[in-house]
Amino acid sequence: MNRQQSQDLIAAILEIPHEGELQVLLNGVERLGTRFNDCAISQNVLKQQATLTLSARLEQKKTSISINALDDQELIKRSVEQVFATCRHMPDDEEVMPALGDVLPSLEYAFNAESDTIEIETVGAWAAQACSAGAAAGIDLAGLLAHAKMFTAYGDSAGGFAHERYHRSDYHVTATGTDGSGWAEHQGVSIAQGDVMAATGRAIDKCAGAQDPTVFEPRPVTVILEPQAVGDLMAMAFWYGFDQRARDEGRSPFSDFDATLGRLSFYSDPAEATFPTVAFSSDGQALAKSVWLDEGKLQQLFTNRYWANKNGLAVKPAPNNLVLSGDGTSLEELIRSTEDGILVTRFWYIRSTDARTLGFTGMTRDGTYRIENGEVTYPVVDMRWNESVLRVLDNVVASGKPVATGEFMAMAMPALKVEEFHFSSLSS
Amino acid sequence: MFDLLKLACNSATRAGCQFADARYLSIRKQRVVSRDHALSSCSDGDDRGFGVRVLYQGAWGFASSPTYTADEIEKVVARAMRIARASAMALREDGVKWAPEPALTLDFKSTCRQDPFAVALEDKADLLIAANEVMLKNKSIKRAQGFLSFKRVQRWYVNTEGSELHSDVTSSESAIWAIAVGNDDFQERDWKAPASNQGFECYRKQEFLDQAERVAAEAEEKLSARLSPEGDFDIITDSENLSLTIHESVGHATELDRVMGYEVSMAGSSFVTRDKQGDFRYGSDQVTLMADNTLENGLATQGFDDDGVPGQRWEIVRDGIFQTYSSGREFAHYIGEERSRGSCRADHWSSIPIVRIPNLFLMPGKTPLSPEELMADVKHGLYFEGMDSFSIDQWRLNFQFGGNAVWEIKNGKKAGMLKAALYQSRTPTFWNACDATCDENYWQPHGVTNCGKGDPMQIAQMTHGAAPTRFRKIRICRGRDS
Repeated sequence: MNRQQSQDLIAAILEIPHEGELQVLLNGVERLGTRFNDCAISQNVLKQQATLTLSARLEQKKTSISINALDDQELIKRSVEQVFATCRHMPDDEEVMPALGDVLPSLEYAFNAESDTIEIETVGAWAAQACSAGAAAGIDLAGLLAHAKMFTAYGDSAGGFAHERYHRSDYHVTATGTDGSGWAEHQGVSIAQGDVMAATGRAIDKCAGAQDPTVFEPRPVTVILEPQAVGDLMAMAFWYGFDQRARDEGRSPFSDFDATLGRLSFYSDPAEATFPTVAFSSDGQALAKSVWLDEGKLQQLFTNRYWANKNGLAVKPAPNNLVLSGDGTSLEELIRSTEDGILVTRFWYIRSTDARTLGFTGMTRDGTYRIENGEVTYPVVDMRWNESVLRVLDNVVASGKPVATGEFMAMAMPALKVEEFHFSSLSS
Repeated sequence: MFDLLKLACNSATRAGCQFADARYLSIRKQRVVSRDHALSSCSDGDDRGFGVRVLYQGAWGFASSPTYTADEIEKVVARAMRIARASAMALREDGVKWAPEPALTLDFKSTCRQDPFAVALEDKADLLIAANEVMLKNKSIKRAQGFLSFKRVQRWYVNTEGSELHSDVTSSESAIWAIAVGNDDFQERDWKAPASNQGFECYRKQEFLDQAERVAAEAEEKLSARLSPEGDFDIITDSENLSLTIHESVGHATELDRVMGYEVSMAGSSFVTRDKQGDFRYGSDQVTLMADNTLENGLATQGFDDDGVPGQRWEIVRDGIFQTYSSGREFAHYIGEERSRGSCRADHWSSIPIVRIPNLFLMPGKTPLSPEELMADVKHGLYFEGMDSFSIDQWRLNFQFGGNAVWEIKNGKKAGMLKAALYQSRTPTFWNACDATCDENYWQPHGVTNCGKGDPMQIAQMTHGAAPTRFRKIRICRGRDS
């Protein structure tokens, strides 16, 4: 749906008689997803969906309702009536905030016109070519090739309106040999045949080097974490720890924290070229660049409007992407400068173990290798680790250039060289 | 409702499909969330639409739409056919092998004595806020929260084999939790009212108030708890804690699609390879793990699965020996079974069915045994209650789990709360270390409503269960440095 179509639909909904304030959020997606394993397509899905969320506010009361039938005028009208009827029964909540009423430009940093031409057959053909490459190498390939065309629009009865179209591509592929596997991905707002085949080649190469892994007895050791591993860890750290209100209320690892965390910067920016995103939030707030760590120094964390107003702070909405700066050192150089270490392709199943210290656990997966005297020498058996992100950031001694990663959240992350990373047990 | 779905199947048959099915879903949801003295949100959802799956020359195609009209049905079938042709660009040898299933007519309705959507919002608010206020009376508690969540899924299913199926399932879930701050720390404690396929009748205000008082007191106690010791200890898990361990180390490990590599790129595969069927010692002879998609009020009890196969009951592990997998019609042939176990489910009308964990539980001990008697035989160990940190590798072998509350056991009795305790093991090592489980009087179900699997991710729900169970010499580590 383009800006005008969204504006017309939202205006029509806002004209439905209602007593208080009405906010309308409209999301649409057309997503092609081709999944394959054993070098054959196993699942092929086209998802076309739209969701209309109506939020009613009556002074300090607020409720919402979501429906998916955008062409059913009667249902929309009934839903507006229902959401206000429910709202009347809500108890007051002092944290309810009025709509902003801002009209925002369609910045569309994450819109890629070339991506609009990708069709079912295109995705099927690229997946088939990847499968052929795996078959030719005698390696099982499994992966997902997905591409989504989306839009989001917001309007409110205070006059606010915003609309953006955007794209999202996700290709990740696992290559499995007789005793070891490799993995690679391409993430971003566009994808082409070359991206698919390049990632496929990387996964096959990783797999070739991962066969017959040897046990490395788990101990604290220098690690080089490739961007997916860094992204998985930083995303968990962000959502567990980077909330200003929790910090102010003593429920955060950053309560009473005034040290620096290494020297990297950690920020969010919808205009970040590596992995741009939509530039407004689901309640119609403009998203600008927000810095969470400035060269390691903690800044104001994400802060909602209520908490910001109450405490005289700047509003810093929850972001749509995460970026960790790097110093641009190549992966080869990171390896060359490491005497005794482990190279990690990917992390898996990261979970919090201690909120107070921002401690997490997880596994290595799909390509874990020993580094000795500046060279990758042999693959090692996957390991579990238990580690605090506070310590990880403090122990970064070198880093790469941020690249797009993140299946569930847009991120730009560099490879990191981290000293004293705590491996705790063996996997298989 | 069936007529348009039949139109889809007829259209697919005319187009030359080997098999097709069509599902229409009407999904109603409500989630009410409390924060301290207020409700922080109340969100309703009404979501309807249909999906058509076609098997054409050995390749799958699937398309869906929210617009339920005859014209749209024809368009969606044509789109599914187009996708099937695209799928055929990289076809598995001989294509999909589909297990036969007789035509079935079934109408299933879950038990719902009090429709949660008909309960006034004020009553829901009263339940949650009253519990929060009890928790906030404890001065250490700086945040009290809770939620009530309800879902009603009405499903109509038709396939080209002549099956006509309908289900109407209402499920309910609730939890409260408190965050205590003090002693240079913060700690969280929760209570989950067991999620199940039932209505609002599950929830009683007095139980919420009683649990709220306990939750707050134990959150406060966690602040001053000692750090867990490390080393090998005997442990006892309560039914909620072990439910998650069953889910991760048995449920996912015995999904046949994972074993066959269909989930390699995302959730991973499994160490339970096909050669282990029938003689692999999964656990001690105390361990019998039963799958049962007919379990009363179980979250995976839906009458039939999304392959059109009725719910079944089967043993996954009997007396410690691995028996068989959870499967769908596409996968049964891989283990020489003629029929699917009926465990293939989709989370939405726009999602395709995939093999999901069934209701799965550890059978209670056959001889009378109370939790006190179980603990009496532990000289120095740990008692894990509730769910906390959980992580497992992509083969479902190496795992590490915490507990929402953990107590030290000394000389057969609880001896104070511990902080940051985690148990780490490998699946067969752990289950073979089981030497006793309490009897049926102490067996409890626990619903899981957020099981993620598939790519793109689908969220499923199922019920697990166990009685308090003892495991000998399990490695304990901790999530915080001393």
